[in-house]
Amino acid sequence: MSDVVLKVNDLKAWFDDFNAVKGIDLEYKRNTINAIIGPSGCGKSTYIRCLNRIHEEVAGAKISGEVLLEGKNIYAPDADPVEVRKHIGMVFQKPNPFPAMSIFDNVVIGPRLWGERNKKNLEEIAYKSLQKAALWDEVKDKLHQEGTSLSGGQQQRLCLARTLATNPPIILMDEPTSALDPIAAAKVEDLMMELKDEYTVIVVTHNMQQAARVADYTSFFVLGELIEHGLSSDIFTNPKNQKTEDYITGRFG
Amino acid sequence: MVEMVSKDNIENNTSSPLKKRGISYKQQDKIAFMILRGFALAIVLLLGLMIYQLFQASAPAIKEFGFSFIYNDFWNPIEDEFGALPFIYGTLVTSLIAILIAAPVSIAIALFINEYLPKALGNLLGLFVELISAIPSIIFGLWGLYYLAPWVKDSLTPILKSTLGFLPLFSGPSFGIGILTASIILSIMIIPTITSVCREVFKVVPSLQKEAALALGATKFEAIKLAILKPSFSGVMGAVVLGLGRALGETMAVAMVIGNSAEISKSLFGAGATMASVMANEYAEADSEIHLSALCLIGLLLFVVTFFVNFFARSITWKAKMRGKKV
Repeated sequence: MSDVVLKVNDLKAWFDDFNAVKGIDLEYKRNTINAIIGPSGCGKSTYIRCLNRIHEEVAGAKISGEVLLEGKNIYAPDADPVEVRKHIGMVFQKPNPFPAMSIFDNVVIGPRLWGERNKKNLEEIAYKSLQKAALWDEVKDKLHQEGTSLSGGQQQRLCLARTLATNPPIILMDEPTSALDPIAAAKVEDLMMELKDEYTVIVVTHNMQQAARVADYTSFFVLGELIEHGLSSDIFTNPKNQKTEDYITGRFG
Repeated sequence: MVEMVSKDNIENNTSSPLKKRGISYKQQDKIAFMILRGFALAIVLLLGLMIYQLFQASAPAIKEFGFSFIYNDFWNPIEDEFGALPFIYGTLVTSLIAILIAAPVSIAIALFINEYLPKALGNLLGLFVELISAIPSIIFGLWGLYYLAPWVKDSLTPILKSTLGFLPLFSGPSFGIGILTASIILSIMIIPTITSVCREVFKVVPSLQKEAALALGATKFEAIKLAILKPSFSGVMGAVVLGLGRALGETMAVAMVIGNSAEISKSLFGAGATMASVMANEYAEADSEIHLSALCLIGLLLFVVTFFVNFFARSITWKAKMRGKKV
């Protein structure tokens, strides 16, 4: 197995005529956390949404370029987006558990969709995923309450557990803590660090401290272009590009 | 009082630039408020008045038959003996079959418009569906009489008989006009109602869950089932009940194709009558006071039932919408 799990070649994305992502080339190494930072409207959300082919679900969306998952292009004509998304999971900005569905059902919905019917297996998956998402202790006595009855932070960890239940090698996170209070956000950050052993995480964040704390690599985007990419320690202490320096020191953005 | 007036005069004389001549703005607003309130109250009063007068008109029948009016199955204007059961039966059966046909079709149309079509095309199709509800009832009746009834007799009946003929529902001869034809007409007439309410309900379901489902490797249809159909279940029920409300009261088209016979036919091919259709058919020819009163009593029953069905439906859809907005 090569060290690079995901490789992006000249990725461009549009909303109708608006070119939101303008040719990105990046590589992601296995078992790393990769942050994407940049001012609002820099295309970072659109970019990450191209990595699991969810951008194309928006009306007027267009994409060009390649995204190689273990060397295979997810945009190849014979690649099935549903299959792609089974390998590349996503946690969204706003916690979005399915309403009118219990905590348990929320966690195992992925495996259920893929045909797992065995109750014991599902219980095992739910237990493991909730453990990994550090939610088990808080919900073990109320697995059959509605998922939406939890607090915002718990809901977000439930959504993470739901993604972990499908066991994707790559997990995308689109500003996963921006709708949470600082304590809940810190919990999700801790989780990212733990997930690194088994997964590759790509996270879009508005919070530069968060990127500096958790990410091994950081990419800085402005107006759909990649300005700088490198080890987080370099980016945040010794940026090579003036724009990056201005942004991380708060003079721009 | 005298002092007050003189004080006012003084103020007028000094003619403050802030004082308006004639009717003050405050008074203008008050008048507008009174007029608008008057209209709004009038409509509520009218509703009350209609119930009261319907009640008055049906009083002789209530006195004569009491509760037996609801469960007696004979309707004999010559002997002046009246029981509404055949019409209650006809109304319920035609409305239920109409719902069974219209609900799945409408839900499918609403999903297709909202989730599969581009916005402009979807709105155009939605407009067409809603235009169906603008077609006058009598046109549906004519179409039912000249095209649908022969089709039911010659094409649909043989199919139903050969597949489900062992059921008493599909026994006996078909003359085209009858309960089944009336139900089909009704189903077409209520599809626009159910479709447009379903579209409203689906629209307020947030798209976040749909993306969540897709991101978990759900197919588009699975995502729609999970994230749109499931959370809007109660709202869809409301839409269906609203359609039911319309079906219960629909008169003209049904009267033209149901056969108008005061009997309880086990077979859907048989003729029947509904509460609304019997009123339309017999009101002009009813010459005895008790016959008229019996018709009014049917009207009162229908009024009360449709009122509550509509009220119930609106409260469900309203609650569903509120919940959709909160998420």
